Amino acid sequence: MSKIIACYKWVADEADIRINPDQSVDITKAKGKISDYDKNAIEAAVEAAGKLGGQAVTLTFGNAGAKPSIKDALSRGPEEAYWVKAAEADQADGAVTARALAAAIQKIGDSSLVICAEGASDTYARQIAPRIGAILNLPVISSVIIMTFEGNSLVATRKLEDSLETVKVELPAVVAVLPEANNPPLPGLKAVMAAGKKPLTEYSAADLGIDFKPRNQVVAVKGYVMNRKNIIFDAGDSVSRVKELAAALRKEGVL
Amino acid sequence: MSGIYVYSDRLEIAAELIGFAKSGGQAAYALCFSQAEADQLASRGADKVIYLKGDSPLPENYGKALADYLKEQDAELLVVGATARGRDMAARVAGYLDCGMVSDVAALDYSNGQLNTERIIYGGAVVQSETISGFCVVTVAGGKFSPVSGQAEIKTVAVQADPRVTLVETAPITKEGVDLKQAASVVCVGLGLEKEADLKMARDLADVLNAELGCTRGISEERHWLPVEQYIGISGAVIKPQLYISMGVSGQIQHIFGVRDAQFIVAIDSNEKAPIFKFADYGIVGDMYEIIPLLTETLKA
Ligand SMILES: Cc1cc2nc3c(=O)[nH]c(=O)nc-3n(C[C@H](O)[C@H](O)[C@H](O)COP(=O)(O)OP(=O)(O)OC[C@H]3O[C@@H](n4cnc5c(N)ncnc54)[C@H](O)[C@@H]3O)c2cc1C
Repeated sequence: MSKIIACYKWVADEADIRINPDQSVDITKAKGKISDYDKNAIEAAVEAAGKLGGQAVTLTFGNAGAKPSIKDALSRGPEEAYWVKAAEADQADGAVTARALAAAIQKIGDSSLVICAEGASDTYARQIAPRIGAILNLPVISSVIIMTFEGNSLVATRKLEDSLETVKVELPAVVAVLPEANNPPLPGLKAVMAAGKKPLTEYSAADLGIDFKPRNQVVAVKGYVMNRKNIIFDAGDSVSRVKELAAALRKEGVL
Repeated sequence: MSGIYVYSDRLEIAAELIGFAKSGGQAAYALCFSQAEADQLASRGADKVIYLKGDSPLPENYGKALADYLKEQDAELLVVGATARGRDMAARVAGYLDCGMVSDVAALDYSNGQLNTERIIYGGAVVQSETISGFCVVTVAGGKFSPVSGQAEIKTVAVQADPRVTLVETAPITKEGVDLKQAASVVCVGLGLEKEADLKMARDLADVLNAELGCTRGISEERHWLPVEQYIGISGAVIKPQLYISMGVSGQIQHIFGVRDAQFIVAIDSNEKAPIFKFADYGIVGDMYEIIPLLTETLKA
């Protein structure tokens, strides 16, 4: 049966990132999560499979730490998971990630649709869907908020800065969805239980013959620091706190 | 023709990108996909305007043709305006040529065949610097460079458009929200607001401050209480008012990205551990349903 492949990335939760006083970045304590918008891609694949027929599956490219993502992704409805497991994922740029995903998509075989989110919540580079399309010579539709199917064609509405653009394509194709495309429900207990029993296929770099050489060289990573006054009015009751605040704003000349 | 090639579906951004390319003393070639764009670009100071002419109205359908053309010309760098179309096209070219690309850069510098960039990652918490040598692609938002002027010759090149994606229809989006980017003061409501009717409390404060009303993403995208143009942050409006006052906003990094350039940040939140207080100049820990009406009254007096 033809597959509808949702790509996702297992990322560090940005809320757990610590910036040290010297502006160095500590992500060692950050929990992993499926990139927020990729949940929309997974939901879009499940919905598309319902309308178009075929089997929704997930695909990720990540190091051994991405293991917990598999069950999480499958609990959202897809029937099978694919994982390109490689330590090199840590240093991957857009070129490498797209090569790895494209190689896996080819290996998976018969697929009618590849769905990505516009961008991942860590890098938000928005390169992957168009790059995959280019590598596999598939048509690409980005910034998608609505998908309908007519026979073997996809009619998609794109949200651009100041217009909605509806386009049509014969499948197979690659799509990048915006978060407005759907509202992914929280997986229920039953779905979580069932996820553990769904099949997972792992690919190694050797299975896919991926060239892991990044094109971009990262030369520095620095925490963003903002210098603010951090004055909290905590003396007295609410009325006096508010008065102090108003007085401070007057003094700053912003009223 | 080796040199810097620039593209944007927005004329103003294209003109700025030509300005960037010229500022380093390189040849600047402005790309476009229609005669109308070519005519407009011709007075924007490029060394040449290159009109890739095919039979599709969708710029994205020229991704492959553009990649082939750039390769044939031995282009040094492709700089693209970071709009929805621009980002898509830029990444396609990078995909066809399997080259490096840096998206939505905050800063860039191109010298001696090397591109140096800075961009924001992790929702605004981290700045990453990258370098690439050899042909590569970079996207950058408008407003970063000054446009130049000067007449350029238009060179028309016949190319094959990808016929697979066809245009069905296009409809303008009517914007309902206000333009927060121009506002001198902004009052921002977050998910701490219990019900839609309570927006009145925020509006009353905004009225005495002569401020515009903004919000966090959830208020517009999930609860639909305010138009999407009014949410602030990395995926919404990036503002630079003199004064930003938040109520019931926890201060997650993606939201804060949008208010970094505010001159003064004031936070009202009931949770003393809310991250917003780290980013605030002034704050009151307390129930906004008590504090905000008091503040409105005090400011009125
Ligand atoms: C990729 C990505 C992009 C994003 N882009 C954006 C963006 O552009 N803009 C954006 O806003 N968000 C964005 N987000 C979401 C962001 O991470 C936060 O989830 C969001 O900003 C939180 O909104 P909030 O502060 O209104 O809500 P919450 O985080 O739920 O905070 C509510 C606050 O209200 C306080 N509160 C509750 N009751 C009261 C009361 N009675 N009085 C006073 N305080 C009270 C609570 O203490 C809490 O601090 C993005 C997320 C991701 C993953």
